[in-house]
Amino acid sequence: MIYSKVFTGLTLSILVFQKVHSLESLDTEINSYEYVTTQTEEDVTNSSIFGALNCATTTDSLSSTKAAEQKYVDFEEVLHKTDNHENIPGILTNYPVTYPYTEKMNLRPLPNNHLLISFIFDMSSEPFYPNKNALDSGQYSHYTVFPKIIKPLLELTSTRQFQLRFTRGYWDSETWGALPYNGFKSGGSGVELWATIEATSKETAYEKWKTLANYLSGHFCASINFIDNSKTSFPQYTFGSFFNGKEERIPLFDQKRENTDLYVLHASLANEPVCTENLTPLIKFLPARGKTGISSYLDGHKVFDSIWHSVSIDVDTFCEREDGQCQYKMEANVDMVIHVPNTLERFENPIPKPVAGDKLKCDLSKPYDIYECFPLSESTDTNFSLSQLFNKTIKGCNNFIKEPTTICVQTTNEWDITLKVIEDGQKDSFFGTPDNCFELVSSKEYDLIIDTHNSQNVTLIDEVPIYVSRSLTGYGQDHGGLRTLLRNPSETPVKIIFYESLPWFMRLYLSTLTVESTDPSINRDTIMESMYYSPAKDREKPAHIEFLLEIPPLTTVTFSYQFDKTLLQFAEYPPDANHGFEIEAAIITIVSPKLYQLRTSTLLLLLSTPDFSMPYNVIIITSTVMGLIFGVMFNLLVKRVVTLEEADKILVERSIKYKLLVLKQHVLRKIGLTS
Amino acid sequence: MGLVETFQRKAAKLGLFPKLIRLLPIFSLITTIISIILLLILPLDGQYRRTYISENALMPSQAYSYFRESEWNILRGYRTQLQSFSNNSNFEDISNQFAQKITTSEERFRTIESWLNEFGVKTSIYRNNATGDTLYGILHAPRGDGTEAMALCVPWKNSNGNLNIGGTALGIALTRYFSRWPIWSKNIVIVFSENPKQALRAWVEAYHTSLDLTGGSIEAAIVLDYPSVNDFFDYTEIHYNGLNGELPNLDLVNIAVSITQHEGMKVSLHNLLKDEVDENNYWSRLKLILLGIKDSTLAGVRKVHGNEAFSGWRIQSITLKACGDSGNIDITTFGRITEAMFRSVNNLLEKFHQSFFFYILLTPKNFVSISSYLPSAVLLSIAYALASINSILNTNISFNSLLAFPMTLVQIVSIHDKTSMSKIQIKNMLFLLVSNPFISILIFTTIFESENFKGLEVFPALISAWKDLNCWSWFILCVSWWPTWLLTVFSTMTTIPIPIVTNDSEDIEIKKDK
Repeated sequence: MIYSKVFTGLTLSILVFQKVHSLESLDTEINSYEYVTTQTEEDVTNSSIFGALNCATTTDSLSSTKAAEQKYVDFEEVLHKTDNHENIPGILTNYPVTYPYTEKMNLRPLPNNHLLISFIFDMSSEPFYPNKNALDSGQYSHYTVFPKIIKPLLELTSTRQFQLRFTRGYWDSETWGALPYNGFKSGGSGVELWATIEATSKETAYEKWKTLANYLSGHFCASINFIDNSKTSFPQYTFGSFFNGKEERIPLFDQKRENTDLYVLHASLANEPVCTENLTPLIKFLPARGKTGISSYLDGHKVFDSIWHSVSIDVDTFCEREDGQCQYKMEANVDMVIHVPNTLERFENPIPKPVAGDKLKCDLSKPYDIYECFPLSESTDTNFSLSQLFNKTIKGCNNFIKEPTTICVQTTNEWDITLKVIEDGQKDSFFGTPDNCFELVSSKEYDLIIDTHNSQNVTLIDEVPIYVSRSLTGYGQDHGGLRTLLRNPSETPVKIIFYESLPWFMRLYLSTLTVESTDPSINRDTIMESMYYSPAKDREKPAHIEFLLEIPPLTTVTFSYQFDKTLLQFAEYPPDANHGFEIEAAIITIVSPKLYQLRTSTLLLLLSTPDFSMPYNVIIITSTVMGLIFGVMFNLLVKRVVTLEEADKILVERSIKYKLLVLKQHVLRKIGLTS
Repeated sequence: MGLVETFQRKAAKLGLFPKLIRLLPIFSLITTIISIILLLILPLDGQYRRTYISENALMPSQAYSYFRESEWNILRGYRTQLQSFSNNSNFEDISNQFAQKITTSEERFRTIESWLNEFGVKTSIYRNNATGDTLYGILHAPRGDGTEAMALCVPWKNSNGNLNIGGTALGIALTRYFSRWPIWSKNIVIVFSENPKQALRAWVEAYHTSLDLTGGSIEAAIVLDYPSVNDFFDYTEIHYNGLNGELPNLDLVNIAVSITQHEGMKVSLHNLLKDEVDENNYWSRLKLILLGIKDSTLAGVRKVHGNEAFSGWRIQSITLKACGDSGNIDITTFGRITEAMFRSVNNLLEKFHQSFFFYILLTPKNFVSISSYLPSAVLLSIAYALASINSILNTNISFNSLLAFPMTLVQIVSIHDKTSMSKIQIKNMLFLLVSNPFISILIFTTIFESENFKGLEVFPALISAWKDLNCWSWFILCVSWWPTWLLTVFSTMTTIPIPIVTNDSEDIEIKKDK
């Protein structure tokens, strides 16, 4: 059922190439811009027509429904500052047709030649009234740029908001500082999903959640359908309304029933591999389909070649309080961190072979010769372009969008950022802006050149309010411990919500909770403000812990608890049973001094695993033992116990010889031969 | 049941049981002899098997190893720097020895740390005043989940107490080289401990209890030992015996052997000399079996190579040791063994579980599995069981180890046979002396391990194995053996002649004795 719906959705969204009839009636108006290099009027017009054609192929079919009223205009390759795009001089149109879609790319050099690349895509649905049927209101609703698959899904499952995260890799917060978007757009290693669902009870909320998970699983080609009740928990404080007051904004849609409420559900699949098949569905959601604009850089080979990457999808409902008009919003983020020298080297040298002897960079202050070389640290001279990193230039276009595509580089003055506009048969033009933000308005090819002599000089990294590390402790396969360390590096106390959901096969003993600290005056009672614990139920429910803690300044707090490892049933072991079991990341939400969210690393728990060729042997041995026991018991119960003499007598009496003798005597007696 | 019953009755009729019980010491002896014969059969052709890689994911030496060419220059660069540290630590005769050592190790750690940080390794120093500090670093796997790790350990001093400069330089150069590869699915942990014994053991223990910087569960560990500062060496020794009889999974040993041989080196097991390595005949195989059993028994007590430190945490570990100062194998070849092994382990999706955990190697490429050597081992233990049954039923004495075997020969002094009494007593004394746990261990080690333990050195080694490495098998052995021995001594002491009252009672006494 679900899958058939998915497929219908996909076929509907297949693009139909439609001719743009209004091309002849173009009003050509050229507005020159101060940065623009000289160009003839004719050339510009030609290129703009091509641009328009390209755009028509990439926009949704519905953009052509409005094509009649759309006037294609010339748009120059123009560079703007983001702060004054109210009066964009490049676009001149009488009736600009735009859709609620924006895209943005942020680059941020990180220390040690790393680069954070963030893609932000925002789109929203047409406004609607949740409690009114579309037929009643007489209003014609349309999806426009909002993905067609999402809205029916939200309606079907009464979901008000859901957040899907695909994250892999190691974020080095000590060097790179705070996570992008303060950590609210990245999950733990693997796949993470949480949602706010309107339902009448926990059970119905779970039913809807399950549908949502299955739907998303099919759509994002991820194993989200493995989310079941043994993985789902209902967070109390970490998500939803506790600290950001989101719930106030979301009204209950179903007001006929009295006891409806909003439920927040959360589940994560730790260490689920994230790959191209998860990214492609997201690209399909975007109006440009990865053909133009920055989404053309969303190439699986590049995104998943990075050291750390995170793909996040946030769908949210926004309602106006006065008239109850609502709107769905979707924000998709793709973030990745690459190590620039390694990435560049891979183009020249796909296998990191040893550097040729004459290209070695040696430390001249230390002994060196033809045989010996103490390697110099990585050069801070960096010069690269986006086309080198992604193997292609950006095709700017997407002229149906509300705001032009923006590329921003967030860095210091020591970096030279230049936008290169590539024009066919012409000299390339180069532009720079004071704030390193560029808007791509025309359909030309763009490239960004990044150059610096001191790549260590990057914008001040945002301080991470708390450092965290978590590890499994213990020896053997019977029991173990979980140790979480929280370090507050700042001089202000940090208030956090610690959330942890542990699978039922870790039999947790909360009584063993111990809190240690560098400050001896700290104990469990002084730092724990509140604690929520919902114990696990075998095969039904994970253990769910939430702590409200306050970590004093410059203090390290370690808390640990012990658990027993359970024996699973034979069929509960996964095919790769000896891999161990993935334990999902704990989520730490910092409430003050700033809102920030981070996750610990995931863990690999080893349960005692049977040798799966053993059951055969076990069956044989057990059967033999059972057989022997049964035989002995049966004999004891059934057989008469006699003395040896009696037994001998019985044996003699039973023998055929004896019986024949008796028979003979009997016969003889009958015929009267004996007395 | 009928059949058993018949037998039982026949036996009862013939009075077999008392006879059998009287013959128990002989049975015990016979089973011991059979067990030894079974062991001697193992090296015969057809009894052992060729090793094979059981886990298909490992694929040793399938990928070309690139740790060569200019990496050698870098390795030499690091080594020259490290040699300056070794020169510093030669000033040990200067008055303030201790302070000098501390500063050099601290200084060394700080320098190595700064080198490692250059290529993105997260480092931390594990402080332990008792055993010495340990510097370790974690190279996080790009896009990995960070739940699994492989460890590369380079103790600053090797098992012989020589400075492991080549190994340390190799460790750093390899880590630098690894950091350029995007292929790792498991974190790489590099450990620089002061020694391969208590310092490494303490670090492993801390990693599983109290360390803040951790990189997930360690799947496999390789300890590098390259004490010479030369570029060339001769052959590779592989040490695999863990504490308390633990062995690493045979797959790990197999990939180590196959990679080492693939790189053109000779593999020596159990300290065999280079000339003996290629021998493959009955006696060489038997020798390796016996050496294997001996090394497994004395693991932790004799020289510790480093792989022993990982026993007990489901970490498969081996030590690679470069032997010989001259030869035609260069140091990067030694690095390539580690590289290829890491690439193999990196392929693993599950923990090592496919291959054997109980095995005895006959040559680097031949082994007997537990099913082959178990009959021998079981018979030996049955011999002890029979002897102890004997001691209970025939009021004799018990013993519990092969070295304790003379104890079974201790006889109860017959009371009426006065002529043989003193003879027997002398014999008893001798047997008891030989079977004293401490004396017998001493005799054993002076005969078979004379190069490692001079005089009474074995006893401090036993204590240190217990204290520093948690090697409890010897403790348990001694604890269970010592009281038995004492009881035996006690029982022989008390069998003084009792005054004979009547002939009848004398007969009863004799019967009981037998």
